[in-house]
Amino acid sequence: MQSRPLRITAYTLCSAAGDGRAATLAALRERRSGLTRNDFGPTPIATWIGRVAGLEQQPLPEQFAEWDCRNNRLAWRGLLADGFIQAAEAARDRYGADRVAVVVGTSTSSIGASEEAYTRLDADGRYPADLRRPIIHTPHSLGDFVQQVLGLTGVSVTVATACSSSAKVFAQAERLIRTGIADAAVVGGVDSLCGSVLFGFNSLELVSAEPCRPFDVERKGINLGEAAGFALLEKQAVRGPWLLGYGESNDAHHMSTPHPEGLGARLALTDALRRAELQPSHIDYINLHGTASQKNDEVEAKVVADMFPASTFASSTKGWMGHTLGAAGIVEAAISLLALDHQLLPGTLNAQTLDPACGPQIQRENAERKIRCALSFSFGFGGSNCVLVFGADR
Amino acid sequence: MSATQSAGERELAELIVTALNLEGVAPADIDPEAPLFKTGLGLDSIDALELALEISKRYGFQLRSDDENNVRIFSSLRSLAAHIEQHRVTPAH
Amino acid sequence: MTLRVAIEGVSFWASRLPGWDIAQAVIRGEQAPPEAPSARPAPTLLAPTERRRAPDTVAVALEVAGRACEASGRKPSDLPSVFASTHGDTAISDYMCATLAGTPTLISPIKFHNSVHNAAAGYWSIGTGSLAPYTAISASQYTFAAGLLEAATQVVCEHRPVLYVVFDIESKGPLATVAASRGLFGAALVLAPPAQQQRTLILTTETVSSLDPTVARSAAAPLVADNAMAPCLPLFEVLAYSSPRTVRMCLSRSTALNVQVN
Repeated sequence: MQSRPLRITAYTLCSAAGDGRAATLAALRERRSGLTRNDFGPTPIATWIGRVAGLEQQPLPEQFAEWDCRNNRLAWRGLLADGFIQAAEAARDRYGADRVAVVVGTSTSSIGASEEAYTRLDADGRYPADLRRPIIHTPHSLGDFVQQVLGLTGVSVTVATACSSSAKVFAQAERLIRTGIADAAVVGGVDSLCGSVLFGFNSLELVSAEPCRPFDVERKGINLGEAAGFALLEKQAVRGPWLLGYGESNDAHHMSTPHPEGLGARLALTDALRRAELQPSHIDYINLHGTASQKNDEVEAKVVADMFPASTFASSTKGWMGHTLGAAGIVEAAISLLALDHQLLPGTLNAQTLDPACGPQIQRENAERKIRCALSFSFGFGGSNCVLVFGADR
Repeated sequence: MSATQSAGERELAELIVTALNLEGVAPADIDPEAPLFKTGLGLDSIDALELALEISKRYGFQLRSDDENNVRIFSSLRSLAAHIEQHRVTPAH
Repeated sequence: MTLRVAIEGVSFWASRLPGWDIAQAVIRGEQAPPEAPSARPAPTLLAPTERRRAPDTVAVALEVAGRACEASGRKPSDLPSVFASTHGDTAISDYMCATLAGTPTLISPIKFHNSVHNAAAGYWSIGTGSLAPYTAISASQYTFAAGLLEAATQVVCEHRPVLYVVFDIESKGPLATVAASRGLFGAALVLAPPAQQQRTLILTTETVSSLDPTVARSAAAPLVADNAMAPCLPLFEVLAYSSPRTVRMCLSRSTALNVQVN
């Protein structure tokens, strides 16, 4: 059964760079980074972060109180943007509440709520009453919340494969639609700042004390960010950019270091192009994973230099909102879709001198031109890789 | 040079075996002059980070990952134990 | 919508049912379960560096994954895989939360890098050298059904065999009061495009007004009941016998996954 292109009839994103598509596009055009000095938590480590402002003052509406936590508040912000909820509800009404699947990605879901509970245990060592809500202390907190908000009743799954999570959801949804389990799918992902990721990545010495500089010869590591993003894929639609294909693979190398030759990345890329029936020369824009870690950028630069002609425009956009981990896939998919819809190719913000490993494809500056096909790369911790192929609305 | 462990080396050997869960390695059997990384015990960069953490907890000082002497400091049990002796904040027994 | 897949391999591990042979015998009432619990399986598939770092989740997941592949006769490196766990590594979550509450800068790098929900899948791919894609999912109490559906979907879409691995462990610390699970448990299936002479599963989804899942009834049930992955047991109870049966599972609050086992 060959995979089939699917229209994306709605998409949105919310990150430190801006709430919604218009704000994000403006930030990309105007080269305005959303990164700020880390002020998260009682003892912030010295780094820069992509923090979404205001979540602390925005509890969920009363009917969703059971799911209230930072991660779901950010999910809510994302769903509210660009009329996404209305678009999803229209799909629900068109196809049936049980025919619209929810496939969303995250890395830590609402572990921040569990972290908080441990700082306020009661005299018996149990969670405080306000946090004794099991749904927010399990990975599926996100998928369950999204399904509830949208009034959907069919398949709902949370994917947690680290940084590839909210890219893989596109592939999973395409298969659900192709086999007839669903007629449409809400895909996306959310990850929020929490102690686990800040102190965890810090313990691996992967975090930079400065704003991150993807592909820069002097790069010193990643900045963590939080974000939410969603897209609606539909079987029968006449408008919207296309999901043309995808490719998935593993590195089978090391839990926290990519394969030195980018073997898994090359496989995912080859599979994605095959599925989309495209050649590398057809690809106008690549949104790279480009985390600003020593190893990722070195390996990724080589893969791009080896596999694409000089004319392909490639960049990392993590300088705008940081590495949003389980949300990186959807955020960067959305940026790729913005590029297709608005003829804006964002460069690599914060890169000053590109690493010599970079080929001619990797760009620092923005460009404006009409493009037809874009790729988005997501390479995760644990070696999970996903490449998505998007096409302009035609 | 002697291949028997000093008391400080023995204590560090026990810390390494416990921190890194080195199954089947008796602390007393670690040759104090054998390499710790790549060959010898075959530790990798994640192990180095884990060890640095455990050493800082036990001996009260930070092993800096950008210290240019790291290759030498970490080259063997003996060199690491000597470095700890020089810098420890918590007293020896 | 109907998905048809063949089952090529089955595996199972609980501390008092440490293997599919024992589990089947207990399910069929042919033998009593061992009195003494078994220690966690040793992840012999892994190289020494990975093996010494492997937490319980990885140990049990790799055990059942390996056994299912052996039973199917398929090379692990040929199989894409779906890993599913309700709560993931709750022992590490407890460690992370407790350490963050006290001494956040002293987080263990090894424990952090094991904390990702795809750790078991990652270790499996490293241990087997498999470049075939994996996914790692959760769907709270619907995890087993959701993962089974995903694995079967991949078989049908890609027309190739897929390994499906599930596990949940004992929750520790304050987290255990909200993410309850007891004991160590794992199970796995190798699913493949349907072929002659092989047991098949036919999956259909059904919107229902009230969920009425098949209940586990065998002597194995109490041994697995407190583990978060217990909802998988009714299917394995049917697989322990050769006669055809249909198992009904919960896929969501109002959707059933019916699995007809032939």
